[in-house]
Amino acid sequence: MPTLANYLLASGILFAVGLGGVMLRRSIIIIFMSLEIMLNAANLALIAFSRYGLVSGHQVFDAQILVFFIITVAAAEVAVGLAIIVSLYRARQTTHVEDLDTLKF
Amino acid sequence: MNTTSLEFAVVGLGILLLLAEAFIDRTNKDYLAYLGAAGLAIILVLSFLPLQGPATGSPDSAFLTSDILSVFFTRFLLVSTIVVLLMTPGYKPVLARYLPAEKEGAGVGEFTILPLFVCAGLMWMVSAIDFIMIFVALELATITLYVLSTYLRQNMASLEAGTKFLILGALSTGFFVYGITWIFGVTGTTNIVSLPQSISLLPESSTLPLLFGVALILVALSFKIGAFPFQFWVPDVYQGAPTPVTAYLSVASKAAGFVVLLRLLVALETVPVLAHKLYAVVTLLAGVTLIFGNLAAIPQTNMKRLLGYSSVAHAGYLLMGVASLGSLMAIPAIGLYFAAYLVMTLLSFVVLMVVAEATGGEEISRFNGLSQRSPLLAGAMLLAMASLAGIPFTAGFVGKFLIFEVALKQGHFGLVAIGCITVAAGFYYYFKVARAMYWQQATEETPIPVSMTIKLLIALLGAGILALGIYPGPVLAALR
Repeated sequence: MPTLANYLLASGILFAVGLGGVMLRRSIIIIFMSLEIMLNAANLALIAFSRYGLVSGHQVFDAQILVFFIITVAAAEVAVGLAIIVSLYRARQTTHVEDLDTLKF
Repeated sequence: MNTTSLEFAVVGLGILLLLAEAFIDRTNKDYLAYLGAAGLAIILVLSFLPLQGPATGSPDSAFLTSDILSVFFTRFLLVSTIVVLLMTPGYKPVLARYLPAEKEGAGVGEFTILPLFVCAGLMWMVSAIDFIMIFVALELATITLYVLSTYLRQNMASLEAGTKFLILGALSTGFFVYGITWIFGVTGTTNIVSLPQSISLLPESSTLPLLFGVALILVALSFKIGAFPFQFWVPDVYQGAPTPVTAYLSVASKAAGFVVLLRLLVALETVPVLAHKLYAVVTLLAGVTLIFGNLAAIPQTNMKRLLGYSSVAHAGYLLMGVASLGSLMAIPAIGLYFAAYLVMTLLSFVVLMVVAEATGGEEISRFNGLSQRSPLLAGAMLLAMASLAGIPFTAGFVGKFLIFEVALKQGHFGLVAIGCITVAAGFYYYFKVARAMYWQQATEETPIPVSMTIKLLIALLGAGILALGIYPGPVLAALR
């Protein structure tokens, strides 16, 4: 039987993987994917916290509702984000962060 | 009628205008901006009626509040959206240049209507007292702003600005959600108001994960308000985004972020273990933001970038106010600073938009000899710059004065010293613009045409700067 600590550890690793991906990878698509991993890390931890109910001793469903909202919002973000990346690709034929150098002072 | 119906009215207005845009066959879309502004003005008037807040015990009351903070900032957001909507007809030529021309006027309508949905999101955000509500409202506003800032999809600068905004915005969302997760994990609640009570029941050992959660939320909010350590997107996005969107980002979205920060700090203030550490962190952030924003603004040659760094600097002054929350005058001072910030920033963006359209660029050198080409625009810009720098008898001066006063009363002598030095730096870069307008020769002599709407906006915002500078009483009274 996995404990709360196991879930939190998995969630922490997911968050770190996501953050590392955002910092280190150079392709915007991969960066975007890493951002989704970060949101899912939060989802996992929220459900674990909610299931084990540390404070009240029983399940608290607020967090599970929040998870549904996060999933929905992430989908909306992907819809808009991919549209932006596609129009960027049409204009520049690239999705690499190094090529975004128009705005400098 | 209920205060929460104001937000629904804004969403309804937006949907009505979208339908009108689809079914009315006119290539000139200006009427959408005027209808939208008129509708928001009516909603603004309605907000002054004696409205009921959500009744205690009703499902709404767990998520939304209608305290003075939310009422003041709801009106603030409505006013800034009205100004931005009235700016959009003047931005049409740029939209026509950088949008694929399938049909004349295609895409202009949505550009005018989308700010309404941002406005509704931000209005919910300033009234929200539950992290779930704050998260959803924040995302409604932010995702719409992604679309708006990338709107010129054949312009490299706008695309790049939008992509950077998207990536960093989504990153800050990740931090925000993970922060909420840990706060929920420790306290078992997502409600900000019941947070202090839940924390008081906790054992000492749970402070560390709680601090971790609060720190993540602070980082995420620093993105929203454009302060250190998440300020680096500001200059790029401000420069690349369409000018009305930049104006909107710098005023409305910053204000909503500050309201959430205030609510969180007011709730955690009652928890002694946390309050101490949090104030230390906010003080540090205020100092670094002030120094960074003002120093980086000095060498700028692009006007929009300059205003971007200036907005980081102003976030620093506002954080000074937030760090002094212990004083009763802190929230009125922050509110007044925001009112001043609204009129002076929007005025400078209105003038910038007209000048950029007439001269073909946004560099400060394009303002050369503006006083000969259009004394009205030059005068308005001078007034805005004087107020941003903080000359007496302008709104900016009163705002800074009150913030410095509460900071001194709370014993933040270091911050006030940094503040005074950075104000001096501010004089240098704001008056660079004034010098270009009044002491440099114009390359062209032709006068710049100014439309009636823009004249009206300049008159109203200019009057606002002087009125707040001379008689700030009503705004302060509204927040006490």
